[in-house]
Amino acid sequence: MRLRYLSRRLGSALVTIAFIALINFVLFRAMPGSPERVILRGTPNVTTAQLEAARLRWGLNKPVFPDQFVAYVGATLRGDLGYSFIARGQTVTEVLAQRIWPTVILFGLGEIVAIAIGLVLGAYTGWRRGGFVDYLGNGISLVLYSTPYFLIGMILLLIFATTLHWFPTFGMLTTGAQYPGLFERAQDFVAHLVLPLTTVAIGLIGQYAIVMRSSIVETLSEDYVTTARGMGLREGRILRRHALPNALLPTVSLIAINLGYVVAGAITVEVVFNWPGLGTLAVQALTSRDYPVLQGVFLLLGVSVVLANLVADLIYGALDPRVRT
Amino acid sequence: MTTAAQLQGTAPRGVRGAVGATATFRRLLAKPDGLIGLLILAVFVILSIAPQLFVGQLQTAVTATGHRLEPPSAVHILGTDELGRDMLNQTVHGARVSLAIGLLATIITVAIGAVIGIVAGYVGGWLDSLLMRITDFFLVLPTFVLALILTPIIQSLVGSTATEVFGIRMTLIVIVIVIGITSWSATARIIRSQTLSLRERAFVDRARVIGAGGGHIMRRHVLPNVINLIVANAVLTFAGAVLTETFLSFVGLGDPFQPSWGQLLEAARASGAPGLGAWWYFLPPGICIVLVVLAFTMVGSALDDLLNPKRRGRR
Repeated sequence: MRLRYLSRRLGSALVTIAFIALINFVLFRAMPGSPERVILRGTPNVTTAQLEAARLRWGLNKPVFPDQFVAYVGATLRGDLGYSFIARGQTVTEVLAQRIWPTVILFGLGEIVAIAIGLVLGAYTGWRRGGFVDYLGNGISLVLYSTPYFLIGMILLLIFATTLHWFPTFGMLTTGAQYPGLFERAQDFVAHLVLPLTTVAIGLIGQYAIVMRSSIVETLSEDYVTTARGMGLREGRILRRHALPNALLPTVSLIAINLGYVVAGAITVEVVFNWPGLGTLAVQALTSRDYPVLQGVFLLLGVSVVLANLVADLIYGALDPRVRT
Repeated sequence: MTTAAQLQGTAPRGVRGAVGATATFRRLLAKPDGLIGLLILAVFVILSIAPQLFVGQLQTAVTATGHRLEPPSAVHILGTDELGRDMLNQTVHGARVSLAIGLLATIITVAIGAVIGIVAGYVGGWLDSLLMRITDFFLVLPTFVLALILTPIIQSLVGSTATEVFGIRMTLIVIVIVIGITSWSATARIIRSQTLSLRERAFVDRARVIGAGGGHIMRRHVLPNVINLIVANAVLTFAGAVLTETFLSFVGLGDPFQPSWGQLLEAARASGAPGLGAWWYFLPPGICIVLVVLAFTMVGSALDDLLNPKRRGRR
C-alpha cells in the first residue's frame, strides 16, 4: 500500500518533468529563423561556411526527431543547458548557479515568515469567526491577496528607503563597498534583504491566512469537535489538540499548489529591488531575448515546483493515513 | 439542488435558465460583498467604455499637457509621469486596456477549460485520463514562467506588432492568447467533476436511449447544466487574468502604445518613481488593479456560493 502510493507520486512527478523538458525542446524549435541563425545572432557577416560549421557542431544537420531530441535529453540530464547568448562564453548552468542562492535565501526565508504568520492569523480568525479580528483579518487578507507583490514592494521602497532612508533601495550588497570583515558584509546583506523579504512575506500572508481560516472553520464544524466540546474540554485544548492538526493537512497541499503563483511574485519582487536572483535573470534574458537562459530558468523553476509538490504529497501521505492508497 | 424536472428526467433549460439568471442576480445584489463588488466593477466598466468622455484622448509624449513628474495639483489631479503625461488620463485609459485584455483572456480560458472539462467528463475512458494528465501538468507547472517564454516566441512568430485586431495591438493579443492557453486547467477540473455527476443523471440516460449522439448531449444537455458553474468560474478567472496581465506587462511584455495598468507600473519602476518619491505615478494604477481584482474576487466567490452545487448550503 505504502509503496504503491510512493511509486505513483514519484511516477507522476517524473512524467511532469518529462513534459517540461519536452515543452522546452519544442518551443526552442518553434521559433522563427533556423536555430543556427538564432545561435549566431549578433555575429556580423555570417558566411555559408560558418553556418555549415555551426550546423555540424550543434548537430543541426541531423533530423529533429529522434537524433536532436535524444541529444537534447542527454545534454539536459548531464546538466548541459547550452550557452548564454549575452554572457559570452558562460554556460547557462554557470549563469543559473550564480543566481540561484539569492532567490533561495529570499524566498526560503519569505515563505517561512509568511507561513508562520499566515497560519497563526488564519487559525485565530477562523477560531474567532464572526468577531472583529476575523472581519479585519479577512479584509486585510483579501486585499493582500488581490495586490500584485511588486506593488507592495514599490510602496515599501517609497516609504522605508526613499522617504525614511532606513534601508538601501536596490541590490544585495552596496556596489563597490569594501568590508573590513565578514560581520560588516553580513550586516550590509541583511540591510538589503529586509525590504524584499518583507514584501514577499506580506504578499504571501494573505493567501495562507485565507486557506488556513477556511480549513479551521471546516474542522471546527466536524463531529469530533462537537464531541470534544460535549466532553467538556476547554476551547484552547480543542483548538490545539483536535482542530489544528486536522486543519493543517489541506493547508500543506494548498501551499504546494500555490507555489506556481509564488514564482510569478518572486520574479517581479526581485525586479523591483534589483535583487540578483533568478527573477531578475529571467527578465534580463527576456529583454535581450536570451532564449537559452530563459529556457534554463523555466526548466529549473518548473522542476523545483514539481519536486516541491512531490515533497508536499509525501508529507501529506505520511500525515494522513487515508490518502496512502 | 435537485428540481422536480431533473427527477422526472427532463433537462432543465431554456425558460428556467433565464428566470434563474435574474433571480441569481437579485440574490447577488442582496449579498454585501456581491453588491460592493458589482458597484466597483460598474464604475470601471463605464470608465473603460468611453474614457475619452471623461479625460480626453490618450496623451502621448507629443500631446502631453504637463511637465516631468509634477506632483498632484489642481490642473493634474493625479500628477504627471516622466514625459509630462497626465496620470489621471493614463490611468482611466489604462482601465480600458486592462479590462479588455482581462475579458478576452477570460473568454479564451473559460472556453478551453469548459470544452476540455465537458469532453473529459462525458466521454471518459482513455481520453479522460489523457486530458486530465495534461490538466494536472498545467496545474502544477508555474504557468507564469511558461507565459514568460511563450510570449516572446509567439510575438516573433506573429511578426508585426503594430497590426491591430478589434483595435487592440498585436502585442496585447499575444498576451491574451498566452494567458488563455496557460490558465484553463482549474476551470477544466471543476467543469469535469460536475459533468461526471451529470452523466449519471436520468435525463442524460434518456437522451442517450432516444439515440442522441455524444456531441448533441454535451451541447444540449450537459452544457446548459454547467453554465452556472462556468459563469461563477469566469468571474474568478477574470481576477486572475487581470493579475497575470499585470505581471506580464510589468516584466516588459506589454505595449507602451496601449498602456495597461501593469504597463504604467512598469514605466513607473523603469523611471525610478519609487526612488524619486513620485508616489502619484504608481499608486493610481496600482490601487485600480487592487480594486478590480478585489471586486472580481468578491463577486466571484459570492456567485460561487450561490451557483456552485458543492458549496451551496454550507455556512
